[in-house]
Amino acid sequence: MDVTAAQLEALKEIGNIGSGHAATSLSDMLQSRISMDVPRVWLLPLNKLTEVFGELDSPRAAIYLKITGEAPGKAIFVFSLPSVQTILDTLLGKNPCTDIFTSELAQSALKEVGNILVGSFIMAITEFSGVKLYTSIPALGIDMIGAMIETILIEEGKIDDNVLIFDTKMTGLTEMEGKFLYIPNEGSLKKLVRVFDL
Amino acid sequence: MSDNIIVGMADYKIGKAPDKLMTIGLGSCVGICIYDLAKKIGGMAHIMLPSSQGKKGDNPAKYADTCIPLMIGDLLKMGVNKAGLKAKIAGGASMFSFAGNSPLMKIGENNAERVKLEIKKAGIPLVSYDVGGNFGRTIILDLTTGDLLIRTINHGQKVI
Repeated sequence: MDVTAAQLEALKEIGNIGSGHAATSLSDMLQSRISMDVPRVWLLPLNKLTEVFGELDSPRAAIYLKITGEAPGKAIFVFSLPSVQTILDTLLGKNPCTDIFTSELAQSALKEVGNILVGSFIMAITEFSGVKLYTSIPALGIDMIGAMIETILIEEGKIDDNVLIFDTKMTGLTEMEGKFLYIPNEGSLKKLVRVFDL
Repeated sequence: MSDNIIVGMADYKIGKAPDKLMTIGLGSCVGICIYDLAKKIGGMAHIMLPSSQGKKGDNPAKYADTCIPLMIGDLLKMGVNKAGLKAKIAGGASMFSFAGNSPLMKIGENNAERVKLEIKKAGIPLVSYDVGGNFGRTIILDLTTGDLLIRTINHGQKVI
């Protein structure tokens, strides 16, 4: 994949706009201020994924939505398990039915969170860049982060040696820490950054 | 002193006892172990997809069909006995449940099937395997015993 420094900067800017909207949606939903770190954009070789994700066998919850339309890609929210519990307790109230491993209610609430967040992410990008995007239904996984990410990366049945990843950290509530990742498919980057005349 | 040699995604490594070979967080990808217990030398691969489809210039360790012959070639150079080689594999899960049809459901299965086929083609007996399911695996091959330890988050731990 050939990417110029200017394109990476532009992607960072676009992703920043999108994830800013997503963080606002999450703040509204949880009625609590969620802040977002300065995003990073990586063009990362496959064997360096630990630089983004840390230990690849750490347990995490991942909500994954496929982005379709003019610039297809993938959007993933990654939360630590305590963070997920914090989000669920905030949304549904503390009760034993919100155990993430067993409760269907908890799982569908979490998918809905993903739906709303990615929805606001792509809406912001579409408004800014004019590139039309849509989302798939959300999928939820609770497992080793590495296992989930690699599975998402090979979904199209092909994979580049380097992966382009937009990554931002979200913090808020007590103990809520999550990551939002946006991975444009090959060829999507050019369309996304067109608005910058690149 | 033994070390864990870490095998990354789309990579393979060769090791010798007392070292252990390890790959972390296998989802739909497949971990392939091929080893000679007499010589206590073995290799582990972490392939991502079934076939290179004849594509040249791509990393051969990414695909089952190109990685397996390459790894066997390296093992032979290390002096293993071809007739003494055995294989174990793990991985090939489907990590996400979507409603409806998604290629995500099939990739793990396709990977595992292709790996089994390529191992058979190479004439190496597949002595045990742990594939499928909907959970991630971390695997560690002990080159002294040939034991393959499989760790999961919510599905226990076992040796195959």
